[in-house]
Amino acid sequence: MEPVQLLSPDGTFTPDPAWPLEVTPQLCRDFYRRMVLARRFDDEALALQRQGELGLWLQSRGQEAAQVGSILALRDTDYVFPSYREQAAALCRGLTPAELLVQWRGNALSGWDPARYRFHIYTLVLAAQLPHATGYAMGVQRDGTDEIVAVYFGDGASSEGEANEAFNWAAAAGVPLLFFCQNNHWAISTPTHIQMRAPLHQRARGFGLDAHVVDGNDVLAVHAVTRAVAEQIRAGGGPALIEAVTYRMAGHSTSDDPTRYRTASELDSWQARDPIARLESLMVAQGWIDEELRAQIARESDALAEETRRVCREFGPVDMTGMFSAVLAQQSPLLAEERRRHEALVVSYAD
Amino acid sequence: MPELTLSKAINTGLRRALEDDPKVIVMGQDVGGLGGVFRVTDGLQKDFGSDRVIDTPLAEASIVGTAIGLALRGYRPICEIQFDGFVYPAFSQIVSQLAKLRARTNGLLSVPVVIRIPVGGGIGAVEHHSESNEAYFAHTAGLRVVCCSDPHDAHWMLRMAARGADPVIFYEPKRRYWSKADVAESADDARVLPLDRARVVRPGRDLTLLTYGGMVATCLEAAEIAAEEGRDLEVVDLRSLSPLDLDTITASVDRTGRCVVVHEAPTFAGLGAEVGSAVTERCFYRLEAPVLRVGGYNTPYPPAKVEDQYLPDADRVLDAVDRAFAW
Amino acid sequence: MTAVTQTVLESVQQFRLPDVGEGLEEATIVSWRVGVGDRVTHNQVLVEIETAKSLVELPSPFDGVVTELLAAEGETVKVGTPIISVGPEAAPPASQPEPTPSVLVGYGPAGDGGRRRRRRRPTASPAHPGLDGRVRAKPPVRKLARDLGVDLATVPATGPHGTITREDVERAAAPAPVEAPALVGAPEPDVTRIPASGVRKATAAAMVKSAFTAPHVTEFLTVDVTRSVKLVEELRAAPAYAGSKVTMLLLAARALIAAAKEFPDVNASWDDTAGEIVRHERVNLGIAAATPRGLVVPSVKDAGSLTLPQLAAAITELVQTAREGRAAPRDLTGGTITLTNIGVFGVDAGTPILNPGEAAILCLGQVRRTPWEHKGRIALRWTTQLALSFDHRLVDGELGSRVLARVGAILERPKWELMQL
Ligand SMILES: Cc1ncc(C[n+]2csc(CCOP(=O)(O)OP(=O)(O)O)c2C)c(N)n1
Ligand SMILES: [Mg+2]
Repeated sequence: MEPVQLLSPDGTFTPDPAWPLEVTPQLCRDFYRRMVLARRFDDEALALQRQGELGLWLQSRGQEAAQVGSILALRDTDYVFPSYREQAAALCRGLTPAELLVQWRGNALSGWDPARYRFHIYTLVLAAQLPHATGYAMGVQRDGTDEIVAVYFGDGASSEGEANEAFNWAAAAGVPLLFFCQNNHWAISTPTHIQMRAPLHQRARGFGLDAHVVDGNDVLAVHAVTRAVAEQIRAGGGPALIEAVTYRMAGHSTSDDPTRYRTASELDSWQARDPIARLESLMVAQGWIDEELRAQIARESDALAEETRRVCREFGPVDMTGMFSAVLAQQSPLLAEERRRHEALVVSYAD
Repeated sequence: MPELTLSKAINTGLRRALEDDPKVIVMGQDVGGLGGVFRVTDGLQKDFGSDRVIDTPLAEASIVGTAIGLALRGYRPICEIQFDGFVYPAFSQIVSQLAKLRARTNGLLSVPVVIRIPVGGGIGAVEHHSESNEAYFAHTAGLRVVCCSDPHDAHWMLRMAARGADPVIFYEPKRRYWSKADVAESADDARVLPLDRARVVRPGRDLTLLTYGGMVATCLEAAEIAAEEGRDLEVVDLRSLSPLDLDTITASVDRTGRCVVVHEAPTFAGLGAEVGSAVTERCFYRLEAPVLRVGGYNTPYPPAKVEDQYLPDADRVLDAVDRAFAW
Repeated sequence: MTAVTQTVLESVQQFRLPDVGEGLEEATIVSWRVGVGDRVTHNQVLVEIETAKSLVELPSPFDGVVTELLAAEGETVKVGTPIISVGPEAAPPASQPEPTPSVLVGYGPAGDGGRRRRRRRPTASPAHPGLDGRVRAKPPVRKLARDLGVDLATVPATGPHGTITREDVERAAAPAPVEAPALVGAPEPDVTRIPASGVRKATAAAMVKSAFTAPHVTEFLTVDVTRSVKLVEELRAAPAYAGSKVTMLLLAARALIAAAKEFPDVNASWDDTAGEIVRHERVNLGIAAATPRGLVVPSVKDAGSLTLPQLAAAITELVQTAREGRAAPRDLTGGTITLTNIGVFGVDAGTPILNPGEAAILCLGQVRRTPWEHKGRIALRWTTQLALSFDHRLVDGELGSRVLARVGAILERPKWELMQL
């Protein structure tokens, strides 16, 4: 099965009657702006890590279309479980740079109030969020609302037992859940063919999920497919899986060295399929982008970058104190004692 | 051997194990072309091929489960779990299968699987990448649990683990991966100790610090400071966390009369509790103070910027030492 | 990039090598992409470095002018080390950086910012449960008390948190040396009452116990020890014995050890409860010592394994520490056979009472000149009288006699006999 594609890498738009989408200048400009901002934010975070301001950063470069196209196809009230590199999606939900950085700065174990954005905290243990999403959707099912639930995960994570247990259970229970896999071809250094023989969307069907594969670097196709599938789930059609075929253009994380396991030519071939450039080609061809728009987006990007640097440097010092009271709803005697002892110790230091 | 980093020392240990025994198989996430996230398996796939150095799917339960199958077939798998916090998906395979097969079959089945786990904090990592979960496994009968603390020991302990008959949980303190030291060339070197033996790394008269892994260096630092203050601390590297080398431990505490157990893991129901209890039982009439413990606080591992407050350091060790002397 | 950002400098700043890869300790400078005097903007690549994990480009955190490169290409630098100085655009290049470098330290083992300083003082005194009227003493002190026969409940505590210290126990075990004895009850003329405490009390109890549980037999033997006296003289001059006290006691000790090894049944105890004879594999030789606090019997552990010079040193040290009241509990227990020397008090013989739990005790009398038959003639010879008491429950007359005869034979021809050992 070929991935659904509406926009070819050179920017040619070909409508697909199975996945209707009204392509307007506004829609394209909105996608474009969000993707450019996401990439700028990502670059800035990378630089901050290299300057020693962040402990670690996982880039979303190359995956902007998959994230932006999909999350904007959901309602703001639909609850989303991200994995850990969904900053492009997160920005669409209104999360701030500070909220997105604080965890990687090493100041906190999570960055935001999930209820506020209907966007769960990041889950770093691969695939653990898939059963959570299934259970959350079981709750939605019982509450009888018209929300749906979406969960993001990677090609590698789909090998974990919990992922497959979740596919199975979600299908068996018929919950309103969208599994959204960004198949970016790599799980750190492990290519997809080592993870699986059958493509994920094919495997998903075996579990009884409605499954689709889409060109993840084509924001229009991602959006069209996700919107249709989401509405089908919302209408009671049961859980579904979308596999977005995309590419992780950066290393796995700032600790990674991708030159050890993949070739420059592979990267180049994907560079040519860059999701932002592709949409830009369409907009240029259609005359939907001009200097003014470019300048405006550049200003916005600079402002975002500057804010990102600023908030990162403004993070204050943190200490253990908060940890002691956050463990149990009611602090245990053991923790109270440890806290007391810790504070006494800190006071005793010579400086 | 020349000076090696701890990472490289294990790397050469794995290489020797692969050379020595054609049944040895190295397996784990990203252990092939990448050479593992800590480069411990660097170059092994290139030299031994992908049949013997296997990049696995992302499925920890199956890494251990499959290793058990390979062992049943006569192979000797050495698995890598990428980070301590990711061993839990494999927990059932480890405690219910790996640990029990020998006893369940009255010794008919032997599953000599080694599970290497980078352990502990101190590297400024994000959550799940700094855990110390040795107590879970030490609590499980049927496993050997060991933890190296320096390149020399890391190399030789790994080679011994790879030849033994029992499953071994092999911990590697990741904060020490890049520290260098000399590694003995041959097994005849006096520094090469059996896998289940503790080691007195610094003799002293006044108090025994019992520790392991990343905390050995911390305790040595504390002992240096204490020496300036006129206290002579003995530092014992437990090396084997299960079984414990109680003879070496008791001999030391009998000599010094005071004992502090130091580990990164939270103290509550941690290894220090077991060691403390055993020491109290055996050395009761020599103890000038109760056995004290220094460990991580009983909270989840905190964010990176807080870890230096959470982790025991020389100051916290010395605070306990002060208390032991004030008793 | 013209936006005014926080990255614009007001003074010279240093950029320290960050840990770019979770726990790395160092990196090598591969190539500088900027030189001194170059204008740099933030995020412009300054340098390429190689870590244990990968090649990495480091972007500038500042806008400004490079004033100094602090590490050379090819150099390996530790995480946290300043590698470049960047100054404000307007200022002339300054070679002296600010004393406090910027806080841009990467994470990793070098720690975040400065390490905490050594604590000033111990923070916590140990948590002690509230007083409950029970005795408080550490386990080793409890053991000491038991060994010295001291009842802890009667001992005044002077330690922290009301604990009884080792010194408290020792004080209780021996009467205070200079204090006037306390008078009990109404004054009695011509009588001084001395509270029997500590060692005295313990000795009394032990002797009563021994005398009334073990049926004692004592045998005597007078021997010509002239050769031993000469040997003592020789040994005193030997360097191996420097620092040790060499007397007849040493040779008697050696002789008793030899005899005990030869007749192991004498190096034994009677276990009443088990109804068994306990034969000891090692000879732990007790030496009865008169100390200012009374009689104590410290023992040399595994004395049979020591050479003569080692034995001399061990006895000297043991008696010395016992006299000073510093004997460790371990020293005062565990004896298997005892030697006592009453000759030093100028008497010839006595009937020694067994140290409780032991089967034999040898008593050495004074060494004196005596007319004695020597090589068929009467000559003045050095003689001494030996007395051996033994527990008749497990040692009968024959064994006891053989042991005593053996000791005597050794002392008569010490060189010959000791050489056989
Ligand atoms: C249970 C578990 N095992 C191992 C890891 C270490 N790890 C983190 S990300 C990653 C690769 C994940 O690949 P994929 O699911 O394809 O997501 P991507 O990083 O490509 O977005 C690995 C092995 C982990 N986080 N959790
Ligand atoms: Mg992937």
